[in-house]
Amino acid sequence: MATETQAQTTEDINDAITQASADSELLQLVSFEVGDEEYAVPILSVQEINRMMQITRVPQSPPFVEGVINLRGKIIPVIDLRKRFGLAKLENSDNVRIIVVEIASRVIGFTVDSVNEVLRINANIVEPAPAMVSGQDTDYVQGVGKLDDRLLILLNLEKLFTSDEIAEIEQTSNAA
Amino acid sequence: MDPSLLQDFLTESGELIEQLDADLVSLEAADSPEDAQELCNGCFRALHTIKGAASFLGLTAVTTFAHAAEDTLNKLRKGEIDITQEVMDALLQSADVVKGMIDQLSAGEEAQDGPQKLIDTLHTLAESDDASAEPDANPATPTQEASDADDASKPGTPLNLGPQKLDLLEFMVADLKDASKNIGEAVEGLANDATLEESATYLVEVCDEMEKTAEFFELDELTSLIKVLHAVAGKLNDASRETIEEISIRIKAAKILIDQQADALTDLRALSWPLDTFCSRLTKLAEDGSIDSEVKGQHNGDIQTVLVLDSVIEEQAASESSSQSEDTPQPSTETSNTPTDAAQDKQTESTPDSKNTEKTEKDKSGSSTPAKPIAEQTIRVEVSRLESLLNLVGQLVLNKNRVLALTRNIKDQPIPPEMAEDFSDAAGDLDHLMSELQVSVMRTRMQALAKLFDRYPRVIRDMARMTDKKINLEIVGKDTEVDKSVLEQLADPLVHILRNSSDHGIEKSEDRKKVGKDETGTIRIEAEHQGSHVRVAISDDGNGLDRKVLGQKAIEKGLTTPDQLEQLSDGDVFRFIFAAGFSTAKQVSDLSGRGVGMDVVRTNINKLNGTINIISKKGEGTTIEILIPLTVAIMPAMVVGVGDHVYSIPLQSIIEIVRPEPEEVKSVSGHPVMRLRDMVLPLVDMRKRLGEPPVDNGGRFAVVIAVGGQRVGLCVDRLVGQQEIVIKPLDDSFTQGGPFSGATIQEDGEVCLILDVVELTRNSTPTINDETKLAA
Repeated sequence: MATETQAQTTEDINDAITQASADSELLQLVSFEVGDEEYAVPILSVQEINRMMQITRVPQSPPFVEGVINLRGKIIPVIDLRKRFGLAKLENSDNVRIIVVEIASRVIGFTVDSVNEVLRINANIVEPAPAMVSGQDTDYVQGVGKLDDRLLILLNLEKLFTSDEIAEIEQTSNAA
Repeated sequence: MDPSLLQDFLTESGELIEQLDADLVSLEAADSPEDAQELCNGCFRALHTIKGAASFLGLTAVTTFAHAAEDTLNKLRKGEIDITQEVMDALLQSADVVKGMIDQLSAGEEAQDGPQKLIDTLHTLAESDDASAEPDANPATPTQEASDADDASKPGTPLNLGPQKLDLLEFMVADLKDASKNIGEAVEGLANDATLEESATYLVEVCDEMEKTAEFFELDELTSLIKVLHAVAGKLNDASRETIEEISIRIKAAKILIDQQADALTDLRALSWPLDTFCSRLTKLAEDGSIDSEVKGQHNGDIQTVLVLDSVIEEQAASESSSQSEDTPQPSTETSNTPTDAAQDKQTESTPDSKNTEKTEKDKSGSSTPAKPIAEQTIRVEVSRLESLLNLVGQLVLNKNRVLALTRNIKDQPIPPEMAEDFSDAAGDLDHLMSELQVSVMRTRMQALAKLFDRYPRVIRDMARMTDKKINLEIVGKDTEVDKSVLEQLADPLVHILRNSSDHGIEKSEDRKKVGKDETGTIRIEAEHQGSHVRVAISDDGNGLDRKVLGQKAIEKGLTTPDQLEQLSDGDVFRFIFAAGFSTAKQVSDLSGRGVGMDVVRTNINKLNGTINIISKKGEGTTIEILIPLTVAIMPAMVVGVGDHVYSIPLQSIIEIVRPEPEEVKSVSGHPVMRLRDMVLPLVDMRKRLGEPPVDNGGRFAVVIAVGGQRVGLCVDRLVGQQEIVIKPLDDSFTQGGPFSGATIQEDGEVCLILDVVELTRNSTPTINDETKLAA
């Protein structure tokens, strides 16, 4: 399990804090791809990014739960973001990464097709998600960032992984 | 307020209040007046300490209430009121109230004021025979008029304190005297190089505490004096022997001043001295060891002379005070370690046994504020640190497993045999050391069951009072130690069982007499180690469980059918009492009858991987026996394979492993079963249960597990082997739902899920199935 980016080093945090106080309008994000879209999450919520590792399946867990991994002695659940977004399974998984985040003091990992870069964007180029797409199960889209030649979907991790949301999905999947 | 101070207060007071509670119950039952007196003093000290600490922290609600209770206790202590049921009820309730306040504070809330009704009761009790009270019953808080009257005859200026502080005066003075005594002890230690360092540290601590006391009195002079002492104490380690001598004598002088001040405070007077020279000389000494030449060595070791030299008191006053009244301490040259009168009074009052204690002993006296011993035998450690230590050891165990696996593999590699042997030796040592480390770390988390058991006399007393029964509680083996987490999980179940025993088990006195039993019922708690398990048994000599009544109730509740009931053993029928909502009590009382308690028992014991047995004979009593593993974090397990995956089954639940032939497996109302010797064993197809594609091979194994008498065979594909596993929680909502109690990490670093045997047995047998449906 090679740790590719130890994002949460003290320097990085300090850096981010200084940045934030110097210019509160600046967002520091990690961008990644799932399917054809590019998504981003705040860098401070990212604990680390790992290469794909052995995931142990947990029978009878929700379908989008890929299983659990051993993160240096700690067992954390891993969620397949493709399944979470209702996409088909990926064929070529060489670039797949597990992004480990801490949300509401819970550590969760999720798989993405590939990780792109760490970038800083101005908050004023981020627009709230269009009403059309912010439907029942898309609350987790916090906004859309317009970069020169691409669109960046900013995710609200808490909404994406809170138990309420999950319970809702579970219900629908059970009903189906 | 400093949160760490509050935390200390909460921890300490929590312990004190538990002690208080236990002492009060013993006090009520005390046989001899001496015992009663001893317990009474203990209670008083505990309450007093809580009150004192609370006032430091400005916790008015606690202080006020504790004060009221203390008054009553004080009367009791002096024998002015008798130990009656009424008094004890009030005092026990008070202990509960204070406990409640501490709980509120722990939860980060403000402490609520104590119930006025109880305060009034306490006041009434305390004042019940004021007429006979000695006039000096409360010498430390004289009325304002009294002190006004003899203004002229006493030294110092009158002190104006608010009523709140006036209330606390008595023990603040006691604290001051205590501190002063501790200074005395510390100074003695300075004389010896060996004890210098710890004495100096101790001195700093004492000064630290005393500073707060002085601030309480709003005495600037005293405060600044102590501050100087504080600063000086911090520098003692680097000072030369000569300097230390000079400083020591001045600290002793300061101690006398503090004692005088403490005495004066009793009369609500503040003393004042010209301390400038004294303080500056002391500071200078501490800084560079220098002292004005005219006073150097002039004192010949006489403290009074020092005070004169440093112009704190005038020469005449010095001689007067040394020849005069008893109130003023009389220092003497050759025996400077003679306790001052004030200190002596203090000692006689609180610790008669320490009166003649050699000063060098520095033992901790049981005074109102326990003095910290210089060398502590125990330290308080945050639980979270122990948790992380255990966690690390857990990871080390896993790592060790990995190294051992690698060592086994290395033998097949083309390397020199000596090297392979060395490697295997090293791995063997590692294995050995790891087991020892594991045991040692486990032991740091062990706590005696006394922590739980000591609360029960109170529980039983209250139960007996409420149900109007006579119950005697016997406790055996309370020194038995278990893991902290086990202790916590056991707390609720045991109380529920005790309540059940006293409410439903033990009969009323008259009923007992009728059947020729002793009027007083007996409940007995026994604890002992049995191998790697702890056995806790609670037995009563009450009327026992009635198979008929329980069976009837079980049928009513739909837990079983009359036919099935016939087949069940007594133990299985008794087990129905653990079902949720199952109660044979005709009426729901304050105490029990809701059918919740035993369900809690079952749930908690299951969490601990424990088992419960009920042995009961109608008319003779019931014994509930709980067997739990010593620790829940690391355990041996059998690793089995199902499909492509492996799972762990706790070894302690496994009875045997059999290999059924395909034709042996039958089906009873849709459930697969097999005949194992003379019993029908329900089977669980683990492939089906774990969502693996079904296969048709006959060579599978049935792992027979038992949970509380219930046996089930788990059909698995492969047996991998036995392993020490470290249990990791699997408490994330994403991973809930499956029959797993946790996960562990294997030798190769992969995660392996641990099967929840309780869950698996619960969903595999018809009766239990119905029960879950019913509960849902």
